[in-house]
Amino acid sequence: MADVRRPIRVLIGILGLDQHEVGAMVVARLLRDAGMEVVYLGRFNLPDDIAKAAAEEGVDVVGLSCHSWEYLHFLGPLQAALREYALDLPIVVGGSVVTAEDARAIQAKGVAAAFGPTTPSAEIVATIQRLVGEPAE
Amino acid sequence: MTERISQSGVQLKPVYGPDDLQEWKPDEQLGDPGVFPYTRGVHAHPEDRGGWIQRELSGEGDPARSNAQFKYLLSKGQTGLDVIGDTPTMACLDPDHPFAVHAVGTQGVSLCRLDDYRELYKDLPLDEITLSHSLQPAFAIAGLYCVAKERGVSPANLRGSVLQVPFYCEDTGYALHMPFDLRLRLSVDSIAFCSEEMPRFHSFLEDTYYISDGGLDAVEEMALGFVEIRGIVRALLERGVAIDTFAPRIAILVNCRMDFFEEIAKIRATRRLFARMMRDEFGARDPRSLAVNIAAHTSGLSLTAQQPVNNVMRGTTQALSLALASAQAIEVSTFDEAYRIPSPEAHMVGLRTQQVIQMETGVTRVADPLGGSYYVESLTDEMEQRIEERMLQIEATGDADHLCETGWFRQIFQQAMERHGRELQDGTLRKVGVNEHVIPEDEDVLLRDVAEGKIEPFRERIDAIREHRTQRDVGRTKSALESLHASASDRDANLMGDVVTATQAGATMGEMAGVLRMAYGQPSDPFGMLEDPI
Repeated sequence: MADVRRPIRVLIGILGLDQHEVGAMVVARLLRDAGMEVVYLGRFNLPDDIAKAAAEEGVDVVGLSCHSWEYLHFLGPLQAALREYALDLPIVVGGSVVTAEDARAIQAKGVAAAFGPTTPSAEIVATIQRLVGEPAE
Repeated sequence: MTERISQSGVQLKPVYGPDDLQEWKPDEQLGDPGVFPYTRGVHAHPEDRGGWIQRELSGEGDPARSNAQFKYLLSKGQTGLDVIGDTPTMACLDPDHPFAVHAVGTQGVSLCRLDDYRELYKDLPLDEITLSHSLQPAFAIAGLYCVAKERGVSPANLRGSVLQVPFYCEDTGYALHMPFDLRLRLSVDSIAFCSEEMPRFHSFLEDTYYISDGGLDAVEEMALGFVEIRGIVRALLERGVAIDTFAPRIAILVNCRMDFFEEIAKIRATRRLFARMMRDEFGARDPRSLAVNIAAHTSGLSLTAQQPVNNVMRGTTQALSLALASAQAIEVSTFDEAYRIPSPEAHMVGLRTQQVIQMETGVTRVADPLGGSYYVESLTDEMEQRIEERMLQIEATGDADHLCETGWFRQIFQQAMERHGRELQDGTLRKVGVNEHVIPEDEDVLLRDVAEGKIEPFRERIDAIREHRTQRDVGRTKSALESLHASASDRDANLMGDVVTATQAGATMGEMAGVLRMAYGQPSDPFGMLEDPI
């Protein structure tokens, strides 16, 4: 459980060669506006890059912005990479390509939350607060 | 009271009348269609020339699958082709790169060697249709040039285009992981090559679409576009290429958002600014050098994941504004854009949208039908002034290479993205289905099944390329790559001859890009995962 005296730290990254960055930046802004700290990793990451940064930065949540289907193939390796760094962190996925069916499928495989293009901003913030055990405002 | 502000921030009046055009000089500012300053379009009678080129962005999977897609679109009445590479191809990475494996062919076609171009263009009448390429210019030109020659088609008869994106690609969606000097050189050398070898081909397509579809407004879009055009023109002139040898083949691929009249005014202002700039600043004399071709994509960013069918209406409205602005080629971003590259169903809707507008509405019977409108002419003047001011302001800030390398341009794109997100959130940017007239998700089903279909990565391409590397004449390939490295190291040489030779020798695009990076003091593989090709 996160220490409530410090802000929630969320990593936001994009996997593989997906270069669409609008969503990642919008969500980063949204979370910062909600008082969270964002470690913005940007584009061009492989699973190990994400896990390494998550360990070094001591984040509470790993957020993946997805605007291509690459994430579906990278999720398993990312979970393995986090285990290698002995990290038990919630993975949160969001993006235009995440359908309701995808959301169900990846949550069944251990992803903590999945946001599609229609998810309201407040729900994203509240979900992340809930995942780290902070009471929603 | 309703606020009357255009999407790019122009304060508008409730109504426009003769007083708004008191200072207006139609002889200077308007002219006739087909006549300087080309405000009204570059042709006197566009309809008599068959109207605009109708095409939809295509390319998926391997080259053979994309070729089948081209034939499908042509069979449905498409009048030109536009092909885009998948994300590895756009980044100059071969399919077997560790970063590429899950993205092969899913968002465009996978292309990296001469055999791929042979498959891509198979059976197509290369000298009868226009071939537009959303690909990396030097390599795409080499591929097309080689295939045309093999098939006995003179490269001089090839028509179409390839986009040039040296200034902003790293900061938007087409990162090449190459330094500024190298990116600019690839543009200059490929344009110089085409001015001699492929003189009908628009090798200098300034693409303001992709830079702006993160959220730039229409003024920022064209100001940055003109900064890039002018930068490339100056570099070509410094190289000793005469203005009238390449300027007739400059075209601009613009964005088209939802602000109907602003987008029309933007295009009219762009043609006028371009004509004056080429004549007065760069000394062009050939009338074709002053008349810039405008092609357009309708904005993907304006489309929504919610209620995909609404995107059909958006595409229709945008395509209509482009027809009224005398665009010469139109692509409608398809209704499934938020989810995927176009499905066959969405391709058909995009194409039919254009056909219905052209054949049923009669809006193009008369050239520049909005010319002389108090509002449109006032807005055209306003847009021209704003674009030029912003362009000069950017140029006064610093040299483009410095602004690129220090991230100055990047912050413009980032601010635009954040602004767009904020405006959608707070409702400043009204969007049906997103911040107005929202419906519950379980009611939002129309066209969802089409939009949510997926394309699996073409992993068989990975094996095919690995096999290709062992089966080619390895000595010949290596020697061609070494030669490319040598010419890249000589900053005064034109690279294109060696790119063509290396392509013919079986080199892949990833290898050629790697060798070029090495000649510019960079690691051959931007991700540090591959061995050097030479």
